[in-house]
Amino acid sequence: MKRFEFVEASSLAQAAKLAAQPNGAVRAGGIDLMDLQKEHLAEPDRVISIRRVPGAAEIREEGGALVIGPLVTLAQLASHPVALAKWKAVAVAAGEAASPQVRNQATVIGNLLQRPRCWYFRNELLQCARKGGPDCLSQEGENRYHAIFENKDCAIVHASNVSPAAMLFDGSVKTVKADGSRREIPLAKLFVKPEVDITKEHVLEAGEVVEALVLPAKAGGDHSSFLAAREKSAFDWPLFSLAVRLEMSGNVVKAAQIVFGAAAPTPLRREKAEAALVGKAIDEATARAAAALCFEDATPMTQNGYKVAMGTALTARAILAAV
Amino acid sequence: MPPRPRRPRPLSVVGTSPPRLEGAAKVAGTARYVDDLEFPGLLLGRTIRSTVPRGELLGWSMGRRPRGLHVVSAADIPGRNAIALLEPDQPCLVRREIRHAAEPVLLLAHEDRDALASVAVELRERPRKAQLDVRASRSFCKEILIEKGNLSRGFARADRIVEGEYTTGHQEQLYVETQGVIAVPEKDGVTIYGSLQCPYYVQKALVELLSLPPERVRIIQVETGGGFGGKEEYPSMIAGHAALLALKSGRPVKLVYDRSEDMLATTKRHPSIVRHKTGVRRDGSLTAMQIDVLLDAGAYVTLSPVVLSRGVLHAAGPYRCEDVQILGRAAMTNTPPNGAFRGFGAPQTQFAVEVHMERIAEALGIDPLELRRRNALRPGDTTATGQRLGADCSALPCLESAVRRSRFVARRRAIEKHNAKARVSGGPLRGIGLALFFHGSGFTGAGEVKLASRAALELTPTGARILVASTEIGQGTRTILSQIVAEELGWPLSRIEVADPDTREVPDSGPTVASRTCMIVGEILRRCAQSLKRALGRMTPRQYLAKNGPLVVTEQYDRPKSMHWDDVHYRGDAYGAYGYGCDVIELEIDPVTAEVRPAEVTAVQDIGRAIHPVLAAGQIEGGTAQGIAFALAEEVVMRDGRMANAQLTNYAVPTPLDTPPMQVEILEFPYGHGPFGAKGVGEMPIDGPSPAVVNALRHAGLDIRDIPAVPERIAGLVDSMRGAAT
Ligand SMILES: Cc1cc2nc3c(=O)[nH]c(=O)nc-3n(C[C@H](O)[C@H](O)[C@H](O)COP(=O)(O)OP(=O)(O)OC[C@H]3O[C@@H](n4cnc5c(N)ncnc54)[C@H](O)[C@@H]3O)c2cc1C
Repeated sequence: MKRFEFVEASSLAQAAKLAAQPNGAVRAGGIDLMDLQKEHLAEPDRVISIRRVPGAAEIREEGGALVIGPLVTLAQLASHPVALAKWKAVAVAAGEAASPQVRNQATVIGNLLQRPRCWYFRNELLQCARKGGPDCLSQEGENRYHAIFENKDCAIVHASNVSPAAMLFDGSVKTVKADGSRREIPLAKLFVKPEVDITKEHVLEAGEVVEALVLPAKAGGDHSSFLAAREKSAFDWPLFSLAVRLEMSGNVVKAAQIVFGAAAPTPLRREKAEAALVGKAIDEATARAAAALCFEDATPMTQNGYKVAMGTALTARAILAAV
Repeated sequence: MPPRPRRPRPLSVVGTSPPRLEGAAKVAGTARYVDDLEFPGLLLGRTIRSTVPRGELLGWSMGRRPRGLHVVSAADIPGRNAIALLEPDQPCLVRREIRHAAEPVLLLAHEDRDALASVAVELRERPRKAQLDVRASRSFCKEILIEKGNLSRGFARADRIVEGEYTTGHQEQLYVETQGVIAVPEKDGVTIYGSLQCPYYVQKALVELLSLPPERVRIIQVETGGGFGGKEEYPSMIAGHAALLALKSGRPVKLVYDRSEDMLATTKRHPSIVRHKTGVRRDGSLTAMQIDVLLDAGAYVTLSPVVLSRGVLHAAGPYRCEDVQILGRAAMTNTPPNGAFRGFGAPQTQFAVEVHMERIAEALGIDPLELRRRNALRPGDTTATGQRLGADCSALPCLESAVRRSRFVARRRAIEKHNAKARVSGGPLRGIGLALFFHGSGFTGAGEVKLASRAALELTPTGARILVASTEIGQGTRTILSQIVAEELGWPLSRIEVADPDTREVPDSGPTVASRTCMIVGEILRRCAQSLKRALGRMTPRQYLAKNGPLVVTEQYDRPKSMHWDDVHYRGDAYGAYGYGCDVIELEIDPVTAEVRPAEVTAVQDIGRAIHPVLAAGQIEGGTAQGIAFALAEEVVMRDGRMANAQLTNYAVPTPLDTPPMQVEILEFPYGHGPFGAKGVGEMPIDGPSPAVVNALRHAGLDIRDIPAVPERIAGLVDSMRGAAT
């Protein structure tokens, strides 16, 4: 790890100012940042901790929306009674991530902004396309953990549990920049596809600090689910994950949202399957049919065909679990 | 009926479970490991490694050199450029020939971590065609043939011949603390502080490498965060590197690997290919066993010949058969050398024989439990090397106890009913599998005689201090050795101290490997305690010291008179004693996602005598978890001769949540030459789980013969199973 200066910001605006100077990095829980530093994938000269910022660890309800501060941990969100009741998939997704130790330290917003786990990307000795090299090394290499959608240029899978669930609620992040200006970015616009810019995963500018994750209330928040398949029961990222929200009228679906997590480089809405569910009563057969639709455009690689079968099964189960 | 094991006299310290002597310091975080140690003027070391699996080193060039950088190459080695172990074939630093990727070439040291990291080194390597396929390799570093009876006679008596091939992959030891040492230059030599299992191995290697007499090479083991065999031979390499840098710079040098470097460069479990051809009678009795064992040694010999030896000695499993032939070979490839890992060849060969037994039962249409009952070794039977087993041979009692505790027969029937329904509904399948196994304690054959280990006890004013080179690596050495000594002296445990393993202070009690510390070193210490007691007579230690001055009693390994071994023909008493075990594992298999979840484990193991039952059960639980992961999860992906997944996020070791509930039962069939009857317990628990898991998968309808059976592999089988059903 390269030596760095450690500073503690007293406000998020100050953190933004400090982080905008060349080679600064914001640190929330530090779980991913520390990993990146150890592997020489991030070499900041100055690390700006926000842990002393007053009020940053709060979850509030504001005008019906859930507002999650930048120091709220995954553990806090996972056990928050209101979140569990009305934004169920989000709380479940937070509670399923990583391990108890990590969840006590890791923040929800840091979770959205963590960098991918692709083993070529994470290996400091290798220059993959995401690090400015000529090729995506997984294409001809080891790709069992990689994407089964939109994987031609770079086959990372989106790493965050929280973001697919948060997208069910049309969530957005509020940010402050170095010059003090503020903006709100819907999650649907936050994440960057490789074809747009292969070297980054989100649109935040240098020094732009997230002040909150905002989750509007949505009908069916209690009918939402998150499911993931992992090799290990803890300390592991999903092989495949998804979130589902159903707005029900009696036993008929009024509206549906399905978002895949660890399947493509960015969270992936599955609109065709969502439309197919509308007007239907949910049973095994409708769930399976919708699940199959989700994978029509899958393009598995040499070693990850198993994810199609696994993903189809999990999707059907998540739909059934959301009812 | 076997003679009943004799009832030993009641004991007061042995058989109890006091807190581990170093436990409080570890829990409180005050225990100090290598990386916690500081020395004035300390430099940090870095290793530059080959990038090709085979080739020639033509030269190297270095970018800007920060002031104060020290560089060591092969030319700086004062003694022989080899790691002294069994064969002197492995260089400490590459001179010209490169035989595997990540082979050490150059060493750098600097006091500043960033400056050290910033040095850019370019190696000029001329690649040559590498041998990465063990089956194609024609270069063997060891061949062993075991013959008993007459194979063709045995096959002639058979009603049926069953053949099969079974393979296992690499496995990483994954001690929590990575490899690390500090070398401190002394006026006339060097001192090593290290995370290691075998201080005297390191001393022997450094004596040759540095061309120094042994008394000038001092090795001190510091608190060590796990070893599992991985710190048996590799510390000689890393200590050699640190010592070279320390001697050249004249300053202490710390060399600690990060996880990736540790996984890329250090030894792993030998991958294996084992073929069985077995003659059986219709009633299930084995008439002939022909076994061919091939291990992938990697690029240098390291410990492969002895791993192979233990592998072939366990290849026939705990079964009786009169006509046996076992051929073992260890072949060289251009991959990083494989080496010691808990079990040391036995997990590989017993995986094969136990899965093969299941297939024999299937071929004959008989109950796999009956097949094992019929063939299990009993007291008075002989092993493949002709060793006649004593009254402590407990294969059958282990089997029966495990079957009873796990309700194997009833569960098996219930699962078959459940699966018939689940196959229709697509719900989760279950499977239950069993494995019977054994494990020899101590060095093989004449090994202990050659080692001639010594241990000593020093009288202190309040009690006694243990002087041994046997190391505490998390398994409880300090505590159990103290219990043995306290018991023999009739003193409370608090009167016993343990000296730090420091080659200047302690005699060579041999390496901490091969499940030998309790049984062999413990027994030598027990004899020391006997002598000490005799010397003391009725005096207290204080009275004795006042009257006679200091007292140190030393004893040496004493071969049991009845033990004979012929190393040329591999005949005779391969081990002083064998432990036996039986594992029953029940699994749940999601046929859609191919996830396999171990649901219940029953592990019954005879270890002669549990000196410390809680620690012994801990060894069994840990080894079982590691063995299940060997079967289902831990996959070393090799690409172009290097580990492609040298990160903990891609190499899946089990977490507590992945570890199923375990019922552990310890049986005690005492061994006459072990302290209070103790045999070994360290390695055996890892022999049984992988075949038990695979037999459970077979019970659920999945024909697995290669491990690790990771989900992708199981998914393929589930698909074909479904295809066959429709
Ligand atoms: C063993 C292990 C298993 C894991 N398994 C999972 C899993 O199953 N699912 C899952 O989703 N995740 C998993 N994780 C990832 C973990 O949840 C994230 O690393 C963690 O949530 C990141 O949060 P943090 O607060 O530590 O972020 P940090 O490391 O502090 O920050 C992460 C990144 O976000 C930036 N950042 C943080 N906060 C802000 C802010 N307010 N404004 C602007 N930028 C900011 C930082 O600069 C940095 O680049 C796992 C991690 C580990 C170690």
